[in-house]
Amino acid sequence: MSRTFTASRVRFGAIASVGVLALSGCASFRAAAPGDPLEPVNRGVYSFNNTFDHYLFKPIAKGYDAVVPNLVKTGVSNVFQNAADAQSVVSDLLQLKGAKLGDDLGRVVINTTLGFGGIFDHASALGIERGNEDLGQTLGYWGIGAGPYLVIPFLGPSSLRDAIARYPEGLYDPISRLSSVPVRNSLMGVRAVDARVGLFPAEALMNNAALDRYTFLRSAFLQRRQSLVLDGKRPKDE
Amino acid sequence: MKRNKIVAMFASVAIFATTSAFAQTGPDEIVKTAATSVTTVLKSDPAILGNAAKLKELIESKLLPNFNFTRMTQLAMGRNWAKASPEQQSALTKEFQTLLVRTYSGALSNFKNNTIDYKPLRMAAGETDVTVKTVINQANGQGIPIDYSLEKGADGSWKAYDIIVAGVSLVTNYRDEFNTVIRDQSVDALVKQLQSKNK
Repeated sequence: MSRTFTASRVRFGAIASVGVLALSGCASFRAAAPGDPLEPVNRGVYSFNNTFDHYLFKPIAKGYDAVVPNLVKTGVSNVFQNAADAQSVVSDLLQLKGAKLGDDLGRVVINTTLGFGGIFDHASALGIERGNEDLGQTLGYWGIGAGPYLVIPFLGPSSLRDAIARYPEGLYDPISRLSSVPVRNSLMGVRAVDARVGLFPAEALMNNAALDRYTFLRSAFLQRRQSLVLDGKRPKDE
Repeated sequence: MKRNKIVAMFASVAIFATTSAFAQTGPDEIVKTAATSVTTVLKSDPAILGNAAKLKELIESKLLPNFNFTRMTQLAMGRNWAKASPEQQSALTKEFQTLLVRTYSGALSNFKNNTIDYKPLRMAAGETDVTVKTVINQANGQGIPIDYSLEKGADGSWKAYDIIVAGVSLVTNYRDEFNTVIRDQSVDALVKQLQSKNK
């Protein structure tokens, strides 16, 4: 009896504190603000992710990078990027960004047809830029703050807002919509490896530059997301 | 042949002297000249990327004079700057500069055959703090925006105090890191960490 009571009180306490954290996170808009009330937990997850990366994920990505010819790697990256461009269309629409909508639609149409399902990125060669939008940015555009910084197990840096946005975004992810489960799962695996390979240069830069990698990554992540929400404008520009 | 070289050297010294005497070069020109002088060398002599000493010399001669490292360090320290003694301040500035040069050398190897676009500068008359916007064009259609914040000094010359890569300000990034180290430890610990990082 008393145990259930304590458990429910603990649960309520947890929910209430998450709510308070979310609110206090929303109140602070400055990109420079640490916004990391969960730092002790985040650091724990961060170090777990590092271990996982060090022993499993990175070696796989390194192997892939070493074995697969560049031409194939580029094609694979392009296919996933094409899928991301298709998702970007939804966010362009939700933010009523006409120019980006036109660019992303044009990219997907050109690359899916002339580029054989996205293997070739003809649209970039034609100078059509990526809109590079997502649902987290869309929420930000409509005034929802990032909320507390979160490090998600296996996935890495995020924020409460972006983490929540991942779920609905997954519902219209072309890869996760594939009906064959083995094909879908292997493609998701390859996509993760491709993304990891893409991080090699940034990782090398961070290892050179950072005193404390956790803080470095958090600051860079929060600033980058804020900049994406503002489409490259800085608060100072106005 | 040799004489021509000497003449050219004198001519360039003379040109350099006049530009610094007038010191009226605009901030956008400073960024463009510095960036062009580095990328020209990278293109004509790609082997330099494998030569740490030569690369360092290139950066120190072409880029460093255009930066105000004391200002950068001061901004990166934020409120903690006032807590540091003058000795700590100069040690921090020196180590921070070394770290940035090293990081920059490493980042250059990713540059390869990309091109740089310089955005037109919007600057009101009498402005002393501007942002020069550039974009590095990559083959994959994703341009990397790089902005340089410059400030006009008392001598009239423009010097950069921050670089913003894809929305990530170098100064803000280091401010968070410096803050963490000082919050958890001390200014001296920060100096020590920078020193060991630079070894």
